[in-house]
Parts: sequence; C-alpha cells; structure tokens
Amino acid sequence: MNQKMKWCLVGLFCLSLFFFVVQQKNKEKAQAFSATFRMNLIAEPPTLDWSLATDNVSIRVIENLMEGLAEYDAALQPIPAVADRWEVSDKGRTYLFHLRKDVFWSDGKPVTAHDFEYAWKRLLNPKTASEYAYFLFDIENAAEYNAGVIQDSKRVGVEALDDFTLRVSLKKPAVYFPSITTFTATYPQRKDLIERYGDHWTDPAHLVTNGPFLLDEWRHEYRLTLIANETYYAGRPSLDRVVFYVVSEETTALTLYETGDLDRVSLPPIAILQYQHHPDYLRAPFLRGYYYGFNVEKAPFNDARMRQAFSMAIDRTEIPRILKGGELPATSWIPAGMFAHNPKIGLSFDPEKARRLMSEAGYTQGSEVPPITLSFNTDPTNTLIAENIQAQWKKNLGVSVLIDNMEWKVYLRQLKENTPQVFRLGWGADYPDPDNFMNLFTSTSGNNYTQWGNVEYDRLISEGASEPDVSKRVAIYDAAQRILTESDTPIIPLFFASQNLLIRPVFEGLQVNAMDLLHLKKVRLKSTQKEKF
Amino acid sequence: MLRFSLRRILWAIPVLWLVATLTFLMMHLVPGGPFDREKKLPPEIKANIEAKYHLDQPLQIQYILYLKRLIQGDLGPSYKYVGRTVNDVISDSLPVSMQLGFAALMLSLLGGSFMGIISGAFARTFWDRLSLFFATAGISIPNFVLGALLILVFSHYLKVLPPALWEDARSVILPACALGLGPAAYIARLVRASILDEMHHDYVRTARAKGFSEMRILFHHVLKNAITPVITILGPLTATLVTGSFVIEFIFSVPGMGKFFITAVSNRDYPLIMGVTLVYAFLIVLANLIVDLLYPFADPRIKLQ
Repeated sequence: MNQKMKWCLVGLFCLSLFFFVVQQKNKEKAQAFSATFRMNLIAEPPTLDWSLATDNVSIRVIENLMEGLAEYDAALQPIPAVADRWEVSDKGRTYLFHLRKDVFWSDGKPVTAHDFEYAWKRLLNPKTASEYAYFLFDIENAAEYNAGVIQDSKRVGVEALDDFTLRVSLKKPAVYFPSITTFTATYPQRKDLIERYGDHWTDPAHLVTNGPFLLDEWRHEYRLTLIANETYYAGRPSLDRVVFYVVSEETTALTLYETGDLDRVSLPPIAILQYQHHPDYLRAPFLRGYYYGFNVEKAPFNDARMRQAFSMAIDRTEIPRILKGGELPATSWIPAGMFAHNPKIGLSFDPEKARRLMSEAGYTQGSEVPPITLSFNTDPTNTLIAENIQAQWKKNLGVSVLIDNMEWKVYLRQLKENTPQVFRLGWGADYPDPDNFMNLFTSTSGNNYTQWGNVEYDRLISEGASEPDVSKRVAIYDAAQRILTESDTPIIPLFFASQNLLIRPVFEGLQVNAMDLLHLKKVRLKSTQKEKF
Repeated sequence: MLRFSLRRILWAIPVLWLVATLTFLMMHLVPGGPFDREKKLPPEIKANIEAKYHLDQPLQIQYILYLKRLIQGDLGPSYKYVGRTVNDVISDSLPVSMQLGFAALMLSLLGGSFMGIISGAFARTFWDRLSLFFATAGISIPNFVLGALLILVFSHYLKVLPPALWEDARSVILPACALGLGPAAYIARLVRASILDEMHHDYVRTARAKGFSEMRILFHHVLKNAITPVITILGPLTATLVTGSFVIEFIFSVPGMGKFFITAVSNRDYPLIMGVTLVYAFLIVLANLIVDLLYPFADPRIKLQ
C-alpha cells in the first residue's frame, strides 16, 4: 500500500467517525423531548415587563407566565381567572371583581387586589411611559392621570377595597371591559419586587409570577426556557418545559420543524401550497383585517362615488389566489370569528356599476381621472396585492394608478404628515370585540388616517360600546358598517388573514384561536407518546 | 513600536468622535421615529415616552447628553429592548459574533491561502483551474444562497449538521462556512496573483541558480513576500467578520450582533445604532493597528513611523 492510499484510508476513517458521532447526537436529541414543547419566536422579546410589552413576541411569553382577572375560553369569551366572579352595577359603570383566595405568586405570597391596583396605576403613571396605558382609559380619571392633568393616583377609578375585592369605576359604560382584563398589560404586579430590582425585576433570577409556567432561563437573542409551576392554582401543567427559540427566518423555522427541533411553526406563504396536505397542517382564522384607505380630502377621492367605484372595481377573490394563504376576501370590516361579522355588508365586485359611478362623478374615461398613487410599506405581500389591484383598476375602470412603496417608519411618517391618496394598513384585534375594529374610524381616533368623519358613525360606535344587549349591538354595528363600507367608503376592506401552522401531532390540547393567543397550560403529550418516551 | 501604537490609539479618539457625530446626524435625518407605530399612540402617551428618553429636547441637547454618557462608557438605554442598555445588548451578542467571526476568519485564511498556494505553485494546470473554479464560485455566490444550500445538503438531506440554532460546536460549522467561503475565495486569488508576481523577481532566479528546490523557493522565500497583501486586507476583514453578518445570523438563528446593523435602523433604536456603529468603528481601528504592527514581521523593509 503506497503512502497516498494510507492517507486516503485515514481520512475516510476520520470522516466515518465524525458522521457516526453526529448521528448519535441526533438520536439523543430526538429522545430528549419527552414533555418539552419547543417553538420559535420571530424576534427577541423586547421586554417581559407586562406594563411595557406591546409586541406579540413578548406577549406570547408573558401570557404563559402570568394570569389576570379574566381569560378567554375557546370561543374567546372572557371567563374568570384570578377573579372568581365580577358584578356590574351603576348602569355598567362600576365593576366589582372578587378575587380567588387560592392564587399565589411563585414566591408563595397570595395574589391580592392591591397587586392589581398597583399594576394598573403603574401602567397609567406617566413616568412608566407605557404605550398600552390607553387600554385603561375607560376608567375614571385614567387618561387625565396619564396625561399629567391630575397628579393624585387616588383619584383614578381603581381601588382595592380589601385583599380580595377590586372596584373599578368607568367614565362611561363599556360592555367589553371584562375582555380588557384578559390582556397582559392588566396583569397584577408586585410593588415590593419592582421597587427592589428596578429595571431588572423581569430577570429570571428576580421574576415572580402567578401563571402556569415559570421563567427558568433567558438567553438573550436566542432562547427562553419556561418550567412548570408546581403551585399553579389550577393544577400543575402537563408539560415539564417550554422552550422558545428566537428564530426570525420562517424557512429556517420550517427546517427546524422538519429536523425535529421545533414542535410548532407558522408556515411561510411560499410553503403553504407544499404543506397544505401534510398531516400536521392546520389552518385557522385570524382576527386581522387588511384594507386600503382613501384620503378623502384629496381628489378624486373627495367624492364618495369615486371611492365606491374603486371599491367595486376590485374582485377580492383574486387575493387568496395570489397569496395562497387561505385569506378570506372581505367587503365588510368586522372580521370573521367575531360577533357582528356580516359578510353581506359592503360593496361587492361590480365593474359595470363602478364605471357608472365614475361617470356620474364626472369622469367618463379613466384617462380623465387625476393622477393617483397607491402607497404601501415595502413588503413582498403588499407588493403582490398592490400590483394585482393596480391591474384590476386598469382593467375595470381604465385608470392608471402609480404604486409607491416605502420603508415602514418612513411610511408611517408619511401617513401622519401627508396621507397619500390611497394607502395600505391592517388591524389586529387587541380584544375580540367589534368595538376594537370599528372604533378605529371614528373622527377622534388617532388611527384614522382617512381624514373622514361622520357624526352618525361616531354616535353608533359610542352606542355600541355601552349597549349590553348583544342582538341590539349587532344591529348597531351593521348600521355603522354600512356607513363605513357602503355609503361613505373611506376604506376598502380587502381580506381577513389566516394562520397556517404545523403542529406536531404528539401533542394535544393546543387550542388555536383567532386571536393567536397561545395558552400552553392545556397542552399535553398524547398518552401513547408518554409510554414511548 | 510603543510610541507608534500610542499615537495611533490617540488618533482613534477623533476618528470615533467623527463617526459618532456623523452617525448621530444621519440617523436623525432619516424620516420616522422610534415610537412611530402602526397603532398610533395617544399624544399624551407619546409625550411621556419621548420625555423619558429626552427625545423632547432639541437635537443639540440630545447630542451633548449622548456624548457625556459616551465619555463615561455608557452607550445609553435601548429604545426597543426595554430595561436593557446598549452595553447589555452588545455584551450579550458580540462574543457570539466573535466566535463565529473567528471561525470564519480561520477558514478563509487557511482555506484561501491553501487554494492560492496550490494555484500559484501549479499555475495553468488542472489544480489551478480547479482552484479558480472554487474561487469564482465562492466570490460570485452570495452568502445567503450558500447558507441555504449548505442547510439543504448537510441538514436536510444528509442530516449530519444542525440547520440553525447555537447549541454546541457543531452549530458553528455551517454558518462559519457560509460566512468564510467568500473571503477565502478572495484571499485565494490574492495569494495566487502575489505568488506569480514574486516568481518573476531576481531573488527567485538567484535561488533557482543556487539549485534550491521549487518547494523550498516557494515556502521559504516567495510566500513571505506574497502574504503581505493578505495582511493588508486582514484588518477590515477581521472587523467585518467578528461583528457579525445580518444575513448569516438571520438564516442560522445565531444570537450575534450582526442583525442589529439592520434591525436597529429599521426600529430607529438610536442608541443601539450608535452603539453597534461605534463598536464596528473601534474594531476597524484596532484591527488596522494590529495589521500595521504585523507588517514589519512579514516584510522587514517596512518600518513603523
């Protein structure tokens, strides 16, 4: 055997040894996932301080560490959690929350009404500079305290009457208020710990929580590990551990699912077609609407007939065809999965009527219409939709529309300072009540970029927020939606989004809901899998 | 050498000040602010937040406040990562980027030099063409394509390496290859050109006349001189590799600092933009200083002045 051959053999041996070790490692990894649920977060959680968290990523972690007065059931109705029950009086202006006496913080201290009073006032305190302080603006003097108009926090309408009774006084009746108390920003907090540890009170070494899981490890930009809370009041969760990996790239997350490193992933649009018949695939509605808005002060959209014409010239069924993500075409604004959703409302595709309306507005031909620019933030999905709708407007109305995309923050500044003629935006539910969607377009809403206002619409939304009778509320929101999407048409609703997921079938109890809330306390390994592992 | 080093370190101060000032001005010129959101904040809430971070102050006051903090080594609070300072963010992520960057640097130096030597020593042969093929591929294939390709082959089909995450030493292999192969190809071409150039010098002819073997001429005489251009690019290359790559960290979910070069700008997280830019500038200055100190060892004709 010559020298070269010897070296070749040594090389081959080393290579085989390397691959053997690697394979063994993979096997060990596969065996290690007995009662551990692993999923990805699309970014590092900016904070775990629930007074300051505003993003889905932070909220996803917090909602498994903490519990508030109420939580959602499977139908997204608020049900008691830390609160045992609540009473409504004073024509819907006063809420009395009675707390359970068996709920404890992870350091053994009981969760009291004082913890809620402290947390809510901290949220509203201008020094906290919380973005979600407005969630509590329905409470008496809350907005005034947050704006610094009043200094004394005792004047804010929230008070712990004793350790287990919390009284909340509202400015005006808000039937959706129990839904607000499910939100992470309203969870209780420990004054003693926040004062002791300052900004570091959410570090794993200091964080004290009351939910089904406890924060065990937080390796920034990479991984958060949660472990089961043995003293959780509703019983220890079935999962031993939950590991959240920070994996921003959707296709990387998908590869990690395929290699067995993740147990739940959201599918990137490009992969939906390939996986839609996969046994682990799941599609669910999502309370998120996508719309085009008009600046009603800029020609030609200062004429409602032109806005109606442009809405009627869009065949929305083309959107799921081009996006392929199971989007639900929409002509109305309250999303599917929420009460008062009514798909019969809105202007459906009718190019002939659209041309007639345009003619009535004084434009017999598309070329007579003043130049129009459709603006949106840079994103491949937004581009696909804009190009499709640009082509539809050209085909159905003969109007040439320019499309213009901008980086996100530049776009937001443009919306604020010089709202384009037509712009794209979306809205995701903060709480599953029509008020959250319809309130967006009142004349006083900071999120209404259309410059449109309608006194009747404002009155209906205010009435809807305080009306306790569900059937009457439906009628009120139907009327309001007709103004918004038919008669005045300051916006064109386009579609409601869907969730496209892969969930490893060895787990059960994972309720996928339209709010994309992920409560892992009910997740468990199937009994057959327990035996296996 | 000590005087030279001290002088260069002192020069770094105005350089870093200039970088800080220009970055500060440019980032404030870009439209959009850190607290512009899809869901618009009520004005009173926005005012509270801006007051908390002194964004309600005139720009010149913000600049002075920033410089004051900077002199004390405080890079300020991150606007995005609430409760964490930029110092925290960088100290958590820079070591990871450095681990990956040094692995990629070693790969590019060793692999690139090896390919370059083979190419130079066996110019216009099959080995040279093979090396040229790899070098051209390495330079022309973008690292995000290479990363995806490596994941497909080694994770998806062969299942021998993890496709992402940062668990153990094996996690470093694919991102280091994706990050280091481009520079390796560049170094290979540089070494090849240098070797071919050096081979025409008189001292090589003399060595040949003395009867030295080609291998001895190559490794004992030519390579010493041919390596000087590699040392020149080593400074900026090291700084670039060890501060991380947005694309590679994104694809392989590496918890490094590279992603902040992009995300800090898109979030308008002003202190973090300043922080990562200054760290990058500092590393460039430092790496160039080290390279300058290395020159005399590679080529005694060079004197430090």
